[in-house]
Amino acid sequence: MPARHLIIGAGTAGLNAIRTIREEDGGASEITLVAAERPYSRMVLPYYLDRSIAESHVFTATAATLANWKVKTHIGKKAASLNAQGNTLTLDDGATIEYDDCLVATGSRAIRPSIPGADLPGVHSFWTLEQAREVIAGIAPGSHVVMVGAGFIAFTILNSILSLGAKLTIVEIAPRILPRMVDERGALLVDAWLRKHGVRILTGVALTRIEAARGKRRLRFRKGETLLADLVIMATGIKPNLDWLEGSGIRMNHGILVDDHLRSSAPNVYAGGDVAEGKDGVTGAPVVHAIEPTAMEHGRVVGANMAGRDVAYRGSLNMNIVEVCRLDVASFGAWDDPNAEAFTGLRPERSAYRKLCWSGDRLTGAIIIGQAADVWTTNDVGMLKGLVHAGVRLGAWKEHLRRHPFDVKPAFIASRTTEALLPQTILGRPSRTPELPATVIR
Amino acid sequence: MKVLKIVPQKCTGCLRCELACSYMQTGSFQPAKSVIRVSPYEGHTSYAPYTCTQCAEGWCMTACPVGAITITPAGAKDVVDDRCVGCKLCTIACPYGTIFYDPDTHKAFKCNLCGGAPACAEACPTAAIVYEEAETCDWLADFAVERSTRLLAVGGP
Ligand SMILES: Cc1cc2nc3c(=O)[nH]c(=O)nc-3n(C[C@H](O)[C@H](O)[C@H](O)COP(=O)(O)OP(=O)(O)OC[C@H]3O[C@@H](n4cnc5c(N)ncnc54)[C@H](O)[C@@H]3O)c2cc1C
Ligand code: SF4
Repeated sequence: MPARHLIIGAGTAGLNAIRTIREEDGGASEITLVAAERPYSRMVLPYYLDRSIAESHVFTATAATLANWKVKTHIGKKAASLNAQGNTLTLDDGATIEYDDCLVATGSRAIRPSIPGADLPGVHSFWTLEQAREVIAGIAPGSHVVMVGAGFIAFTILNSILSLGAKLTIVEIAPRILPRMVDERGALLVDAWLRKHGVRILTGVALTRIEAARGKRRLRFRKGETLLADLVIMATGIKPNLDWLEGSGIRMNHGILVDDHLRSSAPNVYAGGDVAEGKDGVTGAPVVHAIEPTAMEHGRVVGANMAGRDVAYRGSLNMNIVEVCRLDVASFGAWDDPNAEAFTGLRPERSAYRKLCWSGDRLTGAIIIGQAADVWTTNDVGMLKGLVHAGVRLGAWKEHLRRHPFDVKPAFIASRTTEALLPQTILGRPSRTPELPATVIR
Repeated sequence: MKVLKIVPQKCTGCLRCELACSYMQTGSFQPAKSVIRVSPYEGHTSYAPYTCTQCAEGWCMTACPVGAITITPAGAKDVVDDRCVGCKLCTIACPYGTIFYDPDTHKAFKCNLCGGAPACAEACPTAAIVYEEAETCDWLADFAVERSTRLLAVGGP
């Protein structure tokens, strides 16, 4: 009897797992997909928001693709409980599905602070396609949008809001913006840049309630003035969708604890993406990154293992990039390790900043901020990722980078980083072209 | 597979590859839009071009959330402009620093081997860039190690 694989969740991790199983087995096994939503990519929703892409562009598979891949689908259905001993999943409509192995890839959801008015009409999250549609319907040129929260996700939709002709105010309870993406000096630079580009930023302010006010929303804070908004976006954090696993006996901390094959405490139950607490490639510690590249790599490694290969995962690299008003902001690895030796470089006239973090003569993390039009910014973004990822020893180049933190290329090349990287692949074989359905490609 | 083999010892730093590349990729001569980039070594006494190796993993390709990067018949990883949303994820996924973002078009761009007839190799007068059947490798490291001793000793570029 062919193996019966069950994939729960049709986001980045789930879809990459399905595609990889089919790359490996050509259709020999049974695959069943259970997902609350149609397969799409959350992280391109900002480009749908500003209409630079059509809604159809966000989908990563259609019914036809899934049929082509011989995937049985339960779309619009939610996983309700897992019997890890009996190898069955129960859906919210009461149906049960038996599996030989399964992948839990149910991602995260947006959460809001429990303050009065947090659920009023006109107060939105921006995490799902449905929520994106609501925000699109609510913004018009000249609207005043108040973004609650100044983290990475808030920043991914900042350009879109501005390009729709809305006025934007960001309110953040922490004393500064982007607390989990860049250090304080970097945040100051980005903050100044945004103010220069017409964004109002209020940091260190605690939102206490939201009230309806004649078609608008009034935001009240612990101290200071109130704000009147046409639309409020709550970018106040996310939480992995794990509640339905309560009682399953699967070991969880912040996420599902997984080994180097992404197996949970039940060996035939894998977890990947935002719900998985897997190995960080730099620190070796278990962590929930909740980023796209980690979900993609998790999904592919799980897919290969489900298909019968033995693929160990080296761990994932925390990394983010966001562009705001043509300023690139990126960070990699352990950029926030307070104990690491760090070099910084600042070019205030170009709004450019670098931070390089070290363990001995290996780079363990980096922050890079610079104008998108500065050629060396994008050039160095990749090379710094390569240095952190490969963990090559930089020897005398370390001293060079202390003096010249913006001169990364010669250090990268002469440290034989390319040689170290070339043999590396995630699945132990060359990657294939991601097969996208003709209907999705347009 | 045919690859761009780089012989850095032969490079004179004439930058014709950058001009040819940008002309082929964008229709105008603008080295900033070239995807092969020449760097100086040892205080501008020698030079070497650097570009995408079309690596086996295809870090840019696997990272793209919308499958906008595909493998061409020539074996190059190439950005499909209509699919690319300009999210830049590929630029941080690529560990070689060889995929770029064009702020004018809002798209990623990279070496696509010009469909199997790379303009850089055709333009190079000294055969420092040749397009031939070979196993791709780290073409520059030995050269760069040898030509950086002075830089490291005096501590300045
Ligand atoms: C606006 C926005 C911008 C972003 N930008 C970036 C970025 O620039 N870079 C980056 O790295 N990351 C970014 N992210 C984060 C990135 O999208 C996620 O980390 C990634 O999608 C995680 O993949 P996943 O497969 O774990 O989960 P998801 O892609 O969230 O997929 C989860 C799937 O599970 C389904 N599901 C949930 N609960 C159940 C249930 N009980 N039963 C069945 N199915 C269920 C969902 O419907 C969905 O199909 C962004 C996210 C958003 C919203
Ligand atoms: S910038 Fe374009 S090619 Fe690169 S990851 Fe984003 S959508 Fe894909």
